[in-house]
Amino acid sequence: MPLRRLFAISSVLFLLVLAISPAKNALRSYRSLQRQYRKLASSRAHSLKSAQGYEARPVAIQQIWLRDFENRVDRCTTCHLGVADPLMAGAPRPFDLHPGTPHTPGGFDRFGCTSCHGGQGLATTQPDAHGSSVDAGPPMTPPVFIEAGCGRCHLSDSVAGAPVLSRGRALIARAGCYACHAVRGQDAFRSEAPPLATLPLKTGGAWVKRWLKDPKSVDPNATMPNFHLTDQAIDELSHFLFAAQVPKELAGRIEAAAAEPPGSSANGKKLVSESRCITCHTVEGKGKGSAPELSKIASTASRGWLLAFLREPQAFNPRTAMPRYHFSETESRDVVAFLEDEFRDFDAPKDILEPLRVNQSLAENGRKLFRLYGCFSCHDPAGSGSEKFGPELDGIGDKRAQSLDFGRRTDLVRALPAWLAAKLESPRSFADGLKMPSYGFNADDSRAVTTALLALGAQGVPDRYRYAPPQKPALLPGGPVGSLIQSYRCLSCHQIGDRGADVSTAPLTYEGSKVKRDWLVDYLVLSYTLRPILEERMPVLRMPREDATQLADALESFYVDPSILADPFAGRPASDADPAEGQRLYVGLGCRGCHILGSSGGYYGPPLTEAGKRLKPGWTYAWLKGPQRWRADVRCPDYGLSDTDALRLAAYLETLVPVAPSAKPEKAARGVR
Amino acid sequence: MSPSPELHVVESTDPLAVPRRVALVRPDTRPTVRRGDERYVMTFPHLIVREVILFQAVVIALSLAAIVFDAPLEGIANPIETPNPAKAPWYFLGLQELLHYFPPIVAGVLLPGLVVLLLAVIPYARINLTAGPLWASGGKRTALALAAVTAALFALFAVFGCWPIAVPTLLTAAAMFAARGGARGGRLRRALAQVTLPEWIMTWFVVIATLLTVIGTFFRGPGWAFVWPWSGAI
Amino acid sequence: MADWLRGSAVYRSIVRHGTADTNRNRSLVIFENLFLHVHPVKVREKTLRFSHTYWLGGVTLVSSLVLIATGILLMFYYHPSVPQAYRDMKELNYVVDNGLFLRNLHRWAAHLMVFGAFLHMLRVFYHRAYRPPRQFNWVVGIILLILTLFLSYTGYLLPWDQLAFWGVSVGTNMAKEAPLVGEGIRFLLLGGNVVSENALLRFYVLHCVVLPVALLLFLSVHIWRIRKDGGVQGPPSDVDDPRPEESA
Repeated sequence: MPLRRLFAISSVLFLLVLAISPAKNALRSYRSLQRQYRKLASSRAHSLKSAQGYEARPVAIQQIWLRDFENRVDRCTTCHLGVADPLMAGAPRPFDLHPGTPHTPGGFDRFGCTSCHGGQGLATTQPDAHGSSVDAGPPMTPPVFIEAGCGRCHLSDSVAGAPVLSRGRALIARAGCYACHAVRGQDAFRSEAPPLATLPLKTGGAWVKRWLKDPKSVDPNATMPNFHLTDQAIDELSHFLFAAQVPKELAGRIEAAAAEPPGSSANGKKLVSESRCITCHTVEGKGKGSAPELSKIASTASRGWLLAFLREPQAFNPRTAMPRYHFSETESRDVVAFLEDEFRDFDAPKDILEPLRVNQSLAENGRKLFRLYGCFSCHDPAGSGSEKFGPELDGIGDKRAQSLDFGRRTDLVRALPAWLAAKLESPRSFADGLKMPSYGFNADDSRAVTTALLALGAQGVPDRYRYAPPQKPALLPGGPVGSLIQSYRCLSCHQIGDRGADVSTAPLTYEGSKVKRDWLVDYLVLSYTLRPILEERMPVLRMPREDATQLADALESFYVDPSILADPFAGRPASDADPAEGQRLYVGLGCRGCHILGSSGGYYGPPLTEAGKRLKPGWTYAWLKGPQRWRADVRCPDYGLSDTDALRLAAYLETLVPVAPSAKPEKAARGVR
Repeated sequence: MSPSPELHVVESTDPLAVPRRVALVRPDTRPTVRRGDERYVMTFPHLIVREVILFQAVVIALSLAAIVFDAPLEGIANPIETPNPAKAPWYFLGLQELLHYFPPIVAGVLLPGLVVLLLAVIPYARINLTAGPLWASGGKRTALALAAVTAALFALFAVFGCWPIAVPTLLTAAAMFAARGGARGGRLRRALAQVTLPEWIMTWFVVIATLLTVIGTFFRGPGWAFVWPWSGAI
Repeated sequence: MADWLRGSAVYRSIVRHGTADTNRNRSLVIFENLFLHVHPVKVREKTLRFSHTYWLGGVTLVSSLVLIATGILLMFYYHPSVPQAYRDMKELNYVVDNGLFLRNLHRWAAHLMVFGAFLHMLRVFYHRAYRPPRQFNWVVGIILLILTLFLSYTGYLLPWDQLAFWGVSVGTNMAKEAPLVGEGIRFLLLGGNVVSENALLRFYVLHCVVLPVALLLFLSVHIWRIRKDGGVQGPPSDVDDPRPEESA
């Protein structure tokens, strides 16, 4: 009877089919991996007991439960069994030991795996965990961008131990990305791009067109990106720029300066070298700074403009990093004469500085282009309103590949890092009508910027794990001291609180507790090099003595740290603290390896020959108790000195005063007018 | 025993004196009464075994499907990140497709409500019980009425640009006319000639519902724009 | 061994009739069994013919049984809360033994049930099996269809992934368009104005308690009425089918 046979067949099939899933379940790949691991680990074990321990480990899913990270569960260690086991160094994947990082091996229980590496921690199969399958969450961060993981918690601009990330963040700030794209914490960002009002008196039509075609070909230090403008658009924009109304007062200064007699080029050369212009500016690509290249400056800007700018840079660009140098009228003429003689583009056409004759209808089109491309974001931030020109970048690191618009770029891997890298490399290739310019990042820069962008997202990272450097109060005074700090652009190199650039190794936040006032006045009038191995040096600002005194007094009274004792010796003379014992410590700890004292010592740290004249003992004491507290990346070792020993050393340094009261008294006196 | 008295048969025409059986016959049934000549079999094993086989067959099919195809699971729900297009489950995609053509109140409430209502009243509508083949009566009037209704419906749906309904409407009407006089045609036409009006209407509805669902499922991409299923934009 | 088992007092107390090798015992199989006595002891041979029903009602019923079985197992692993609901899907995938298989089975059985119910309805319509005395059973069938759709729809939200969230958002936005009551119904359904954790809880209760109970009730009525009305073929055809093709 066929019905019976059918029944028999279907019954057998029924049982077979129902057995498939349990069979699959029993053959899950992590089980065999764990058995392999048992064998491998027990063969590597040093003792019979530990080998037996490995053998006895049950086959089971391993997981790290991170309560703080929204109850995240990372099961990576189900297969990566040896990440925390020194025995497994050099073992084949996936059993090998995790390479050492600031958070390993100590941090596995605190941070798990996915907080740095991304990927799907819940998964117990490789494709899903690593994120190559469709339904999985965000895929793992590719190893080249691994420092993006650091950046999700470490929010400061510079992160110790994460050079790529730090570089990426610096590049983003320098490229001015924040001018168009909103990122939390960067609302106050202002591009250093100059306002364009004085452009008609600064340069010529031919130069502007060259610049707009490709800024980097004109000046390799240019921060302005390439907008890939058509020749017509360049023409229209140039007409618009030359149609600008130059403010009367500035126009007067430029014209008056242009009429002044020429100065002495030879003296100018001396002044340029004394003033250390090349700390910030490059000359023919030489120098570490990133301020505009000087070698063709005379073919970029007119003599009148250069002179007027040098005398008061901030009147022309309130956001410039350039400090005001107190050259005399003659001295500034000499400097410009030197620039005119030496730093000229001899290949440039004669009319490169000829102003453009404005055609109003072209200028009108140019005005529209200026808005269309968002030029105002950098050059006229006040005119842009509160809305940013480009899309928000906050959270971009959390974006899922499905929600990204790949447009024409069907050649790309459908993943966020590839998308970001392509956006940086050729932003216009995704669709027609896109406006983002290209920044010409090289492969390394692009990798660094992508890393920093991937770090802009923190899904699941608890707030208290997100480490931003403590918000030190930005003690920027108003009044005369404030305008001095503004005018000398101290913040271009020094930090005060959380403001300012991290170029100098000496933040000013607690400078008043650190150095002695009289030394500071002398130093400001005529600065000299404290750390010979650094290329960035304090420029000689030719500061008048009254300005220096006023600044030093302000630092002395406001820029102090209450945790630095004014008098660590508690009222007793320093000699009571046994400076001789301090000297013994100085020798014993090997301080001379880095510091010059007298005629010998290393070059890494600042010289201590005149330490007693320069440093306050309270600072020395506080520093010795923990150098890293004051600067995280400092190499001065923390010896864990006792209070007594630190005091002895401080007392010893306090005795180090020069025999002559001042090194070069005749030069210092020059600052007095 | 004394012989029983002779019985006389008295025929009376008085209905009150001689009751008769009267059957009230509804128009949807017929007065013939005939003993069924069907064969009966034991439920066990004949039916029960078949039921068990059915059960096993369905479970086998489902299990195989469950082993080969994984149920979809996307990222965790995120109210901020709207997928484009956001699609309802497949059985509602016909409705969602309607939303593309009609105002929401029509597509989302009136039409589905009407459909459910019409489905529910099917057994209570006399036409469903009595209707014979559409063209049984030759029907010049039927043809006229059909043409008029078709034209009206087509115009209505065409105004809304709803071609997935308008075109099947025309096609169904064409098939209905093709069935006219089909009793003498080939096998297909003969079969068509037997179809009743309610069946035509149901067929029309099923074709439209299927078409809308298929379009909504496979042919709609970002912004509910028409895409080809192989373009990968769904 | 089998004979000994069948002879034992315990077996006899559970199954009171002997081996089903006589018609008497075969009858007893049916009417001594709570679950089978919905069947008559004898059925018309026509009933068995595959092409008469394509077993579509049966397929739908079996799917619903599979759904109940897998659904109960899934309930052991599921929390109707955010974000644990989604996390539970992942646990089913990666940790629970056969969890993915269970979920897949539940998912595909749900689709099969909706599809089967549609086809069953069409088959009944084209066979005019809604004619008296089975009119009301057709209406019960329509109610069952709607219940099935709602069951599937409420279940759609439970994984709490993007698909679920936006599928339900789109659907409930349609309900909003109903005049007067639309907003109210949507608020009642979602427990708020947007799809949120409240909606998840409500859909969960509907999906696991309210709708299944309603489904079972109507299903019982449906099946019981089939039996009362003469099985899947309807009452014995003491009437000629009006359509010549079948009487021919």
